[in-house]
Amino acid sequence: MLEIRNLHVTVEDREILKGIDLIIRPGETHAIMGPNGSGKSTLANVIAGREGYTVTEGEIRFDGKNLLDMDPETRACEGLFLAFQYPVEIPGVANLYFLKAAVNAVRKYRGEPPVDAMDFWDLVHERMELVKMDESMLKRSVNEGFSGGEKKRNEVFQMAVLQPRFAVLDETDSGLDIDALKVVADGVNALRNPERGFLVITHYQRLLDYIVPDHVHVLVNGKIARSGGKELALELEAQGYALYNEEPGRARRAAA
Amino acid sequence: MTATAPLFSESYRPAFAGFVANRREPDAIARLRREAFDRFQTLGWPTRQQEAWRLTDLSALQSITFQQPADALIDASALPTLEGPTHRLVFVNGRFAPGLSRLPKLPDGALITSLGQALTTHLERIEPYLDRLPGLERHSFAALNTAFWEDGAFVHLPRGTMVEEPIHLVFYAAGSDVTVHPRLLLALEGDAQATVVVEYRGQGRYLNAPLAELALGMGAVLHYHQIQEEAPQAFHLGAIRARQDRDSDMNLHLISVGGQLARADLAVLLDGEGASCAINGLTLARDQQYGDYHVRIEHARPHGTSEQRFKSVLDGKARSAFDGMIHVRPGAQKTDARQTSRNLLLSKQAQAHSNPRLEILADDVKCGHGSTTGFLDPDAEFYLRARGIPATQARALLVHAFANDNLNQIRLTPLRERLARLLAARLALDLAEGK
Ligand SMILES: Nc1ncnc2c1ncn2[C@@H]1O[C@H](COP(=O)(O)OP(=O)(O)OP(=O)(O)O)[C@@H](O)[C@H]1O
Ligand SMILES: [Mg+2]
Repeated sequence: MLEIRNLHVTVEDREILKGIDLIIRPGETHAIMGPNGSGKSTLANVIAGREGYTVTEGEIRFDGKNLLDMDPETRACEGLFLAFQYPVEIPGVANLYFLKAAVNAVRKYRGEPPVDAMDFWDLVHERMELVKMDESMLKRSVNEGFSGGEKKRNEVFQMAVLQPRFAVLDETDSGLDIDALKVVADGVNALRNPERGFLVITHYQRLLDYIVPDHVHVLVNGKIARSGGKELALELEAQGYALYNEEPGRARRAAA
Repeated sequence: MTATAPLFSESYRPAFAGFVANRREPDAIARLRREAFDRFQTLGWPTRQQEAWRLTDLSALQSITFQQPADALIDASALPTLEGPTHRLVFVNGRFAPGLSRLPKLPDGALITSLGQALTTHLERIEPYLDRLPGLERHSFAALNTAFWEDGAFVHLPRGTMVEEPIHLVFYAAGSDVTVHPRLLLALEGDAQATVVVEYRGQGRYLNAPLAELALGMGAVLHYHQIQEEAPQAFHLGAIRARQDRDSDMNLHLISVGGQLARADLAVLLDGEGASCAINGLTLARDQQYGDYHVRIEHARPHGTSEQRFKSVLDGKARSAFDGMIHVRPGAQKTDARQTSRNLLLSKQAQAHSNPRLEILADDVKCGHGSTTGFLDPDAEFYLRARGIPATQARALLVHAFANDNLNQIRLTPLRERLARLLAARLALDLAEGK
């Protein structure tokens, strides 16, 4: 469902991604690991359509459609979701209002009427339980004053409500204690089905104990240095990225 | 540009002579007019050489001759309404329009009426206040208003009087190259309470130069809302002066959206212990609009609090200015005075100027001010779009979020809801036209 071919991306004239090839089929979960600064978030942002990244070569197709031609909102309406590494605080916009606007934007795109208030409320409640989120967070402004863990939980909550067909999770596990990590993993696993695809970006093998990937890729210096099955994550955990990396300092930090 | 505009000031002299010759009114009032006109002659027309008028470009006004307006027939549907029971006074071109007004029964002793009419019926209740409040002594337009006002609203609530229903004062101006000088006099004696909504609207190219005087007695509570929605080609040069006695509480909500040039000068004197004043200002401007607030809060007694929260949202080539002075007199200990000016620019050509100032002559006070100007947060915009929300809607949401806490401070529900709709309509339009 997601096909990335020979993707080269520059940021401010510096090449960050240097030829990525990645194919994710419906129902598959892929993990990307790699040291700090290797380009993981860059890949996630380019998939989601963030400004400031220049694709100099290659293409991304989503269900055969040229993703790079679409603006971010169209990508989302087509069923793409990015759980942000750093969720943005938006003072003055209530979480619940924001979610409803998002749900209705997607429905409008599909030619459906706005969501029924009761149906929406039921859905929200069900999904809130899934990620064990407190109801008070609905009334609060989007991510404003949320702890790191609450922000990540809110990302998974939004994903659970929007039910995208393909989701990229950018370090959704960072900064979570083990209980929160399980909650996030449960949220993701509840959504896994033969039609959905996931791309899970993480530094830690830990998360992959709970969200077991079909494929693991190691991204180093803008290139996929190695791909394998879930056992690759364990290997990385033991050895770090030293084998792949010219800069051992980074590898140590990543493995720490 | 011309440094002064003597021609313009000169042209007022015969106008004033003609104006007073036709009025039959008490000597005391005629004397106030003459004194004010003399004051105006001394002050002259403001120039940009004066610090207080540095940013306000009045050259568009100087090129045309403004006349006293003729009577105009106004369709009632052009006038704003407030849902629910209200006391409503309508003024067209500065003159009371009884046919468009409506005054339900009032509590004993309370007076809500045309100021012109009250001169003959209740002079003794007007005299202690009219042109007696301090502030704006050097403001040319305040002086002009006192010289030239024809009519206006007079609200006088004796001690302990509470008027439940909002007092809705609508000022409509119509005409081309005319000037109107409406006057508002609101006097709340001790423990009196009122909610007032003043609306400025019109059609054509005119100058509206109203002066509002607000007197709050001991423990009085006033919620005052001013909605400036002048015609697109109009000029608004308004002024408000207020004096607050001990433990009185004044809440001013100032919304400015209309006119090509709109400025309001405010002078508030906290003249009794424990008086508190909150000012909530919101300016929406686009195209070539200019919106300006000049505020002076004077803390004269201990334990006073004042809070000013001004915001502007500027699109196109719009400009805004905010000049806010907090002055704490010696002896006004335990003053708590805050001021913020926040500006959101929706285009690269828009400009906001903030000039917060403090003069603190007491040593045991809490004073603070802050000023920010910025564009919409691109990260927030991307976050919303990444969830499927279209770019224009995302931007509207963010602007709304910026302006909304000012609207939310308005407790008068029908007004708050109307303003929220106005904001939404403006945003939908601005953002759809833009980028
Ligand atoms: N908007 C930007 N402006 C300038 N440089 C950027 C920008 N985005 C990314 N970069 C640079 O691109 C490189 C890759 O960054 P990216 O965020 O993709 O790494 P990452 O693998 O996600 O790292 P981490 O593990 O720390 O999240 C880094 O050197 C970073 O400084
Ligand atoms: Mg990253």
